[in-house]
Amino acid sequence: MPTTEIRLQRYRPEQDNAPHWQDFRVEYDDSTSVLDALEQIKAEQDSSVSYRWSCRMAICGSCGVMVDGVPKLGCKTFLRDYPKGLTLAPLSHFPIEKDLIVDMSRFLAHLSAIKPYLIAEAAPKGKPYRQTPAQLARYKQFSNCINCGLCYSACPQFGLKPDFLGPAAIALAHRYNLDSRDQGKSERMAQLNSDNGVWGCTFVGYCSTVCPKGVDPAAAVNQGKIASTLDGVIQWFKPGKETSK
Amino acid sequence: MLSLAKTITTDVLVVGGGGAGLRSAIAACETNPKLKVTLLSKVYPMRSHTVAAEGGAAAVTQAHDSLQAHFDDTVSGSDWLADQSVVDYFVKHAFDELVQLEHWGCPWSRQPSGDVQVRRFGGMKTERTWFAADKTGFHILHTLFQTSLKYSGIQRLDEYFLLDLLVHEQRCYGVLAIDIASGDLVQIQAASVILATGGAGRLYQFNTNGGIVTGDGMALAYRHGVALRDMEFVQYHPTGLPGSGILITEACRGEGGILLNKDGYRYLQDYGLGPETPPGQPQNKTMELGPRDKLSQAFWHEQQQGRTIQHPQGEVVHLDLRHLGQRYLLERLPFICELAKAYVNVDPVKSPIPIRPAVHYTMGGILTDANCATSIRGLYAVGECASVGLHGANRLGSNSLTELLVFGKVAGREAARLASEPSQPAADSLLSTLTTQALAPLQQLHNSQGSERWQPLRQQLAASMEQGCGIYRSEAGLKETLTCLAQLKQRYQQLRLGDSGKAFNTDLLHALELGFGLDVAEAMCQAALERKESRGAHQRQEPGLTNRNDQDFLRHSLAFYQTRPGARIEWQAVDTSLSPPAERLYGGQRPRGQSSAGQQPTDNPPKESR
Amino acid sequence: MSRKPYQPPMPASWWLKHPAYRFYMLREATVLPLLFFIGSLLYGLYALGQGEASWLQYQAWLQQPWVLALNGLALLASLFHAWTFFVLFPQVMPLRLGSRTLPAWLMVSAQWAGVLLVILALWWLLGGLDAHQ
Repeated sequence: MPTTEIRLQRYRPEQDNAPHWQDFRVEYDDSTSVLDALEQIKAEQDSSVSYRWSCRMAICGSCGVMVDGVPKLGCKTFLRDYPKGLTLAPLSHFPIEKDLIVDMSRFLAHLSAIKPYLIAEAAPKGKPYRQTPAQLARYKQFSNCINCGLCYSACPQFGLKPDFLGPAAIALAHRYNLDSRDQGKSERMAQLNSDNGVWGCTFVGYCSTVCPKGVDPAAAVNQGKIASTLDGVIQWFKPGKETSK
Repeated sequence: MLSLAKTITTDVLVVGGGGAGLRSAIAACETNPKLKVTLLSKVYPMRSHTVAAEGGAAAVTQAHDSLQAHFDDTVSGSDWLADQSVVDYFVKHAFDELVQLEHWGCPWSRQPSGDVQVRRFGGMKTERTWFAADKTGFHILHTLFQTSLKYSGIQRLDEYFLLDLLVHEQRCYGVLAIDIASGDLVQIQAASVILATGGAGRLYQFNTNGGIVTGDGMALAYRHGVALRDMEFVQYHPTGLPGSGILITEACRGEGGILLNKDGYRYLQDYGLGPETPPGQPQNKTMELGPRDKLSQAFWHEQQQGRTIQHPQGEVVHLDLRHLGQRYLLERLPFICELAKAYVNVDPVKSPIPIRPAVHYTMGGILTDANCATSIRGLYAVGECASVGLHGANRLGSNSLTELLVFGKVAGREAARLASEPSQPAADSLLSTLTTQALAPLQQLHNSQGSERWQPLRQQLAASMEQGCGIYRSEAGLKETLTCLAQLKQRYQQLRLGDSGKAFNTDLLHALELGFGLDVAEAMCQAALERKESRGAHQRQEPGLTNRNDQDFLRHSLAFYQTRPGARIEWQAVDTSLSPPAERLYGGQRPRGQSSAGQQPTDNPPKESR
Repeated sequence: MSRKPYQPPMPASWWLKHPAYRFYMLREATVLPLLFFIGSLLYGLYALGQGEASWLQYQAWLQQPWVLALNGLALLASLFHAWTFFVLFPQVMPLRLGSRTLPAWLMVSAQWAGVLLVILALWWLLGGLDAHQ
């Protein structure tokens, strides 16, 4: 089996004050993923190497890492595509807890902040809402986010200003706002209208490039800007009501 | 010396953030909004393995379908080892739970009219499987997780690892856990504890499961004296990718995919599942839409007779979807197209997908009654880790996602009721004694100067289970695996950790998971050894044991933990009060218009989506 | 507690790290030559108000190679910016027909067709002026 070099960023909070690099040589074939390589390193070379993983099939969102500086899912990135070796580092812009593991709590706080659940006054009794395939198609793409956090590592605005709600959270807000069953848009607009909402985005667009699920969060955020503008205009013409900003 | 870093007090503690755990946490909150509900999970909830379920969730939906039919399919699918009053409750509540999820925002696939779309599934007589493209589990899990954020009563402990239960005299007082990020030991006192920790598929080499599916909750309940029921029934999903075992959903066949051996022949017709149906025109309960146990067994026979296909990563057969066409595949099975391209470099539009059976689901689990209560007061179990009595010897695809919802709600409600009753909290001295006891093995692991590492042990465990406790079993093979397990347990005592740190010590967690797995594996093998018949997913090779034997084995196996090797097996009667055992028939063997031997006049529901 | 999260710094040179960021900065930088172009226009308006001498002086200034070069750059920058804008447009304003979205290439082509129309219209307009003189 051919071998290749993996340069891994290590950080062990109990020993290190800053991350450093460590080199490993791993065997690989056509099907070896970055995650398989990490498992090999942990099993055979250094069992203190830590990383998150679970499903191995690009749906649980655990194994996001920077591969040669690009945010990727470890389970869906293959060594065959890096014959000259590669570097692995934890996702950018997040605090590093240990080795490839980052602190996702800020990301989760942003997700919760936008009220990512259906808000409706009364559901039909004992039966589903009607929702046509066309109505479903309006938001379906934005419901495919696996919360892997790659888009936050791609977003320099999140790196510069961690309070920015960020691509995935705004895409999720947009998903519910577009859902024909939802009536909670006005409750979400306050967050979206703020400087940490859609207007924190400068449309770098790289979030959509790295998204492993084709969610296109940049589209959601920038469609959100239009919604936010319209919301502002509407609020302007409503006398006696405070704007939701 | 290990010591507690903090103590948390709560009313209802849910362990596990998958579909069952989230549903029960929400149900507990709704039952009594004043309760403090704590959701503890070793991964962020949306990473839980519910996320990987693809095909769908079953409930009687169409006007021409009936609860009786869903009941009959489930009971005959279980080879009559399901508890029938549980099945009855399940089919009656399935539809309402799927509707509830719809009201919470789940993006179910739709008909042009705007009604929910249903698809065919293996072993189901009628189309009754709700789906969200081919990422149903993903959408269910995310819908539940996002909905749970609405409930301020739910406090989450993300990335906490369950170390032990605090049990004294058949009463559960809470748990001990590791805060993975800091490595701190945390005691959580709770009036009721719900285990929703998932299955144990990682005990096998080839499996569709995520790395977290290691049987933790099963092992802990088992060690504290709760029986593990029907553990010998391990479901092989007929269509996993070679090498990785990644799941290729049954919905592929529900939508019309066909299985071919190396001669391009649809071999299922030779295994009592025929007659052959035209490609792209699937018929319920026939050919590719037979139940999972039968299909996996058919693969095994084809392999024995040299009719499987050589693939760089082992023997395979072909799942052919090409006749469905690109547009349909991208609409109904987009994730399958993505997976096949990424992991075996096959475009299902142009070539058949190589597949092989892979361990998918543990039908058995922690014994509970119909209210999800275990034999320990204050301890509940739900979902794949539990055996509420729904699946018997073989689970039908798309029944388990619904199970999470129906029984998740029951477990949450029951746990909340108990927690709402006045009760005597445990004395501090008792809790401290229990904690010291629970910490002893961990202390030993930390201090160990042994030479064993968990990785080779885990590999041997997985290989031995595959070898001796696979699709077909024999006494010799099972005994060999049991011996291997006993040796592995010995070696486990000599385990040494390769990471002495506290923060995110995944080396320690994997070692603990291996310890859990060894106990669960023993229960599986012992039950398999003592079930001297063939039923559902449990198939014995020895002459005289290759058929179902209702006389002696129309019973649940109960495995009890013992400190010496092996498990102690007892037998429990099966509830067959509504439909007496009959032969399981699929394909053309099935009488036309049969409604099985069911006697119970269940009403057809007026629920239809037209 | 053995948590000690390390917050990686975000250096001022972050945008040099990746081609996607450099491309983004280039797009944003198109504003610089455009500022110069607007300055030129304002200067022209001012000169027009000051009488013929001033206007001729302005025209002479416009002919200088460096001014020509900068305005040429501004033209390229505005075309480049238009291109990036057109490519992003379908993301921001997707047009839906039933359950299908209009393909992005169609929307991008339509926008370029619009540009071409405007150029032709201007051409015609300017040509018309020539005919009057």
